[in-house]
Amino acid sequence: MLEVQRLAKRLGRVQALRDVSFKTRRGTITAMLGENGAGKTTSLKIALGFLRPDSGAVSVGPGIVGYVPDRPAFLPGLDGWTILGLSRVRGGGREASGNGRGFGAAVLAAARSLLFDPSLLRRRPASYSAGNAKKFAYLQNLVLAPDLLVADEPYAGLDPPSIKRVRDLFCGLRQAGKTVLLSSHMLAEMERIADSFIVLSQGRTVAHAGLREWRLLRSGRTGPDIESVFLRLAGP
Amino acid sequence: MLEPSLFALSWRVTRRRLSGSPLAALGALGLPVLVVWLGVVESYATAAKFFYFLLPHVFLVAAQDAVRSDIDSGALENVLFVGGRFRGYLASKGLALAVAVSAYATCLFALISAWGLAAGAFEPRSVVRFALALVAGLYYLAWAGALSYLMRAGSNVLAILLAQSAALIGLVLSTTSRAGLLDYAATGRFPGLGPKLLFGALTALLPNVVVSARLSVFTAEVLAGLVLAVLVQGRLARGLEIRHS
Repeated sequence: MLEVQRLAKRLGRVQALRDVSFKTRRGTITAMLGENGAGKTTSLKIALGFLRPDSGAVSVGPGIVGYVPDRPAFLPGLDGWTILGLSRVRGGGREASGNGRGFGAAVLAAARSLLFDPSLLRRRPASYSAGNAKKFAYLQNLVLAPDLLVADEPYAGLDPPSIKRVRDLFCGLRQAGKTVLLSSHMLAEMERIADSFIVLSQGRTVAHAGLREWRLLRSGRTGPDIESVFLRLAGP
Repeated sequence: MLEPSLFALSWRVTRRRLSGSPLAALGALGLPVLVVWLGVVESYATAAKFFYFLLPHVFLVAAQDAVRSDIDSGALENVLFVGGRFRGYLASKGLALAVAVSAYATCLFALISAWGLAAGAFEPRSVVRFALALVAGLYYLAWAGALSYLMRAGSNVLAILLAQSAALIGLVLSTTSRAGLLDYAATGRFPGLGPKLLFGALTALLPNVVVSARLSVFTAEVLAGLVLAVLVQGRLARGLEIRHS
């Protein structure tokens, strides 16, 4: 669904990416791990078309790409319903219900599934709390019905019940044959749901492993838990 | 590059921003109020002259909505703009603004024309002057739009207004030593290259001067400037990356 090859990118004086390559498979959840400044967000932004690579290539399979940024922001002056309506146009009205009432009902159902108060939709997202802005970003993506969902720090700002709902959302998407790519520092949470792992360090891909390989890395030979494996891979 | 869905999005955003901006409302309503007042205390002809001369500034005031603010707010790093669609959105935003302000200007023109016809003072030449005022207005939109890639909300318009003020002050001060520049402009005949170049520089800053319909060379300059500004905006949009995080 998404393949990036040998990405390099300089941001000002910083060589943000040196050699990043990875691939995500359809119907899987991939976790991208790395320390601060490892190049995770830059890699995602290049894959999503917000940045251009200095070298390397990105290939995205057919279908709609969704994106939930670390700190979501929305066009000012528009209320939640209006933004969702515009997202619906972007998605080509692919959500389950075609007519306006059906769309409204689908949005309300999705909002409840994310523990998002639907009455907030009448307000502008700029007035939402960080957690509600994040949930609204997921709602906006659900309206689009993406084939590939990319989320940067997927649980940032969310409370534990909401984290569970978002985790269920990822698993539901995988079950429906969609692809999910998550960039996170929450190692245990990633290991709980991910099918494969990408580890970045200093702008390079240092590991790209499936669940089985990842568990081998986790074996007693290398380290007893995911944190040890991560530190061993990403460490100096 | 211009997708219909992006135009729908930018149209909605532009409409909301214009209706929610007190400065844009002041610019849009201030002109008809001034024109009516001039028509009442002076004459329709005077009111019409002011209308055509000041109409481009309605465009300029509306152009305060800045690209840089959108970028810095992080709003372009949204799922709506994945795949580089933010570039198409910015292009369609400029188009939506041009359509919205041109439509408003056309409504004002229809009203002032109806007033002129009722008073028996309407001149067919006014249609040409209106068209030239539209060109000057679009020139403002295009350059203010290009500047807005670099400057935050409102400062693009402020920069143009300050440059205009400086040019006008310079013109007033230079009338003692360079008497005749405004006379040349009034007749449309310039005695040499120097005054022509000087007036060309003034036209670049204050394209309103072309609405007199006597300055075809300078009208061509404004048209060329408009095309150039659109090309500059296209280049800026193509090179744009969203680095906000």
